[in-house]
Amino acid sequence: MSERAGLIRRVLLGVAAAILTVVMVMPLTSTETAQSWGLPLMTDKLWFRVATTVAMFVVLSSAWNIIGGMTGYAAFGNVAFFGVGAYSTAFLVANLHVPFAIALLAAPGVAALFAIAIGLPLLRLRGHYFAIATLGVSVAVAEVVNNVEPLGGSNGIFLPIVRSDLLFFYLMAATAILAVAVSWLVLRTRFGYGLLAIRENEEAAAVIGINTTFYKVSAFALAAALTGLAGGVFAQWNVFINAENVFPVDYNVQMILMAVLGGSGTALGPVIGAVTLEALIQAFASGGEFAVWSQVGLGILLATTVIFVPRGILDFFGGQSRLTVQYLRNSLRRTGV
Amino acid sequence: MSGLVQQLVLGLLLGGVYTGIALGFGLVWGVLNIVNLTHGALVLCGAYLTWWLFSSFGIDPFLGLLPAAGVLFVIGYALQRLVINRVIRAPLLFTFLLTFGVNLVIVNLLLLIFKADFRSVTPHYAGSGLEAGGVTVPYIRLAALSISLLLAVGLAAVLNRTRVGAAIQAVAADREAAQLVGVDLAHTYALTFAIGAACAGVAGGLISMIQSITPGSSGQYTLTAFVVVILGGLGRVSATVVGGLIFGLVEIFAQSNSHIGAGYSNAIAFGLMVIVVSIRPRGLMGRLSGTAPGV
Repeated sequence: MSERAGLIRRVLLGVAAAILTVVMVMPLTSTETAQSWGLPLMTDKLWFRVATTVAMFVVLSSAWNIIGGMTGYAAFGNVAFFGVGAYSTAFLVANLHVPFAIALLAAPGVAALFAIAIGLPLLRLRGHYFAIATLGVSVAVAEVVNNVEPLGGSNGIFLPIVRSDLLFFYLMAATAILAVAVSWLVLRTRFGYGLLAIRENEEAAAVIGINTTFYKVSAFALAAALTGLAGGVFAQWNVFINAENVFPVDYNVQMILMAVLGGSGTALGPVIGAVTLEALIQAFASGGEFAVWSQVGLGILLATTVIFVPRGILDFFGGQSRLTVQYLRNSLRRTGV
Repeated sequence: MSGLVQQLVLGLLLGGVYTGIALGFGLVWGVLNIVNLTHGALVLCGAYLTWWLFSSFGIDPFLGLLPAAGVLFVIGYALQRLVINRVIRAPLLFTFLLTFGVNLVIVNLLLLIFKADFRSVTPHYAGSGLEAGGVTVPYIRLAALSISLLLAVGLAAVLNRTRVGAAIQAVAADREAAQLVGVDLAHTYALTFAIGAACAGVAGGLISMIQSITPGSSGQYTLTAFVVVILGGLGRVSATVVGGLIFGLVEIFAQSNSHIGAGYSNAIAFGLMVIVVSIRPRGLMGRLSGTAPGV
């Protein structure tokens, strides 16, 4: 049994690696050199838009996973870091004329500092209180930004246009790979074990000598830095930012749903969740009444995931669990009345 | 001077509505330990029901509050019994996500039925009000405040004077112990949620007379309820009333201050909440966790 599970796992990993390679190479067919060689064009504007968005959500949900999945602090306002990162880069580029490459580096820095500043008081809160306090911070920051004139107020900020789908796809994909690599590393270090210990029992973690405040704030800052970096890339990619498009409350929930859907607390779970969910969202994306129905569908998906597969899709690939009626029934029994 | 009094009055009146929105939310949170993100959608259901009865059948909106409460009670019972009970023992993140999903479903169904247009209930007495010494008190807002306070008193009476209330308090204090002495957990959870939903329905009816309603406001109502409950503190009906009134006052004074303006109302609300929670995590009047809810 375990031999077979191992085989399945190897095959699936191989397939995933192959798909990833194809996705990473495909955009190159749009370069002039490739076109002059007569290669078939495998991508278009829409493809770039979707692929870059998927990569962005891989970053967001992987970063959330560090504070939410590994440390067990249900942050509901991570979009604040996305917005702070986006505004840092945009402000430097548009108002101070700093080159984008340097301005981009400021995004994770400012976001991490912001996370430390709000994390020190807020990470003393637990459970629901922490969740809503962070949500409140994200709503409040958006409102402040919307009213501060140097940041463009409600008009937002326009950046000089950089037309390169290729650049932003690879930039966002690199950020995504960085986020996954960081998650993978964290899970294999003393720091990561400390976070897991805090998630399981914070008092016990403190008793065995873990500086819980330092660990929690570091995890929060790390998540913020990655999220902020994605925000910085987004700002230049999208050219125009305002409080509405870099602080969307929906993102808070989407990144968490992705991590939970894939399997929170693991390095690959958020990736699987982000790709699956974003693919679903894009497949159903359209205007009019259909869009409303797809929102209804998203809500139902959310509810059924939480009720029936609380440990995420990744649970079925480890060789320990299989999707059976028994599994679903056990999920119900474990959390029901 | 009369300007200040006028603001005080308007703040208290607005706070009354906020109290109404928050009552059911606080009850569900305190007893079931669920931050119910569906709450705003339930408020909207009550609002649309009142609007529909008024615009289609000409039923007075204050009379419409009764069917709104009744329908929402049934919806709430079914929602808790069939859906939320399934994850009641799961970590908080899961109840969060589940109720968010249900919220998404309800809001978008409302959007399909009623469209995104702004609707409002305008009975013939809508514009009139009491006037004394340069201070105006709109009748509808005064009635809304009175009904919210009545609702609070009624809720406290149900919790403290009835068998059902005793069962709800027992479940909130200790699930296992309550089960041991014969409390039907699944039923009591559902009943608690149903009472909370009925309160939301009444609050929604009140809102439909004061503001225009649109399916997009669901999140705003939930946030308001949250801030009010945190400010006041969990586990006491009177705390919710205090939280609601304070929030109403703060918002009115902030809006009328020319230096701050209306643009910052959410920031002020959340700033206030974060300060209160950082200094005193159980809110101004909240009980310590593990004790039963009460007056």
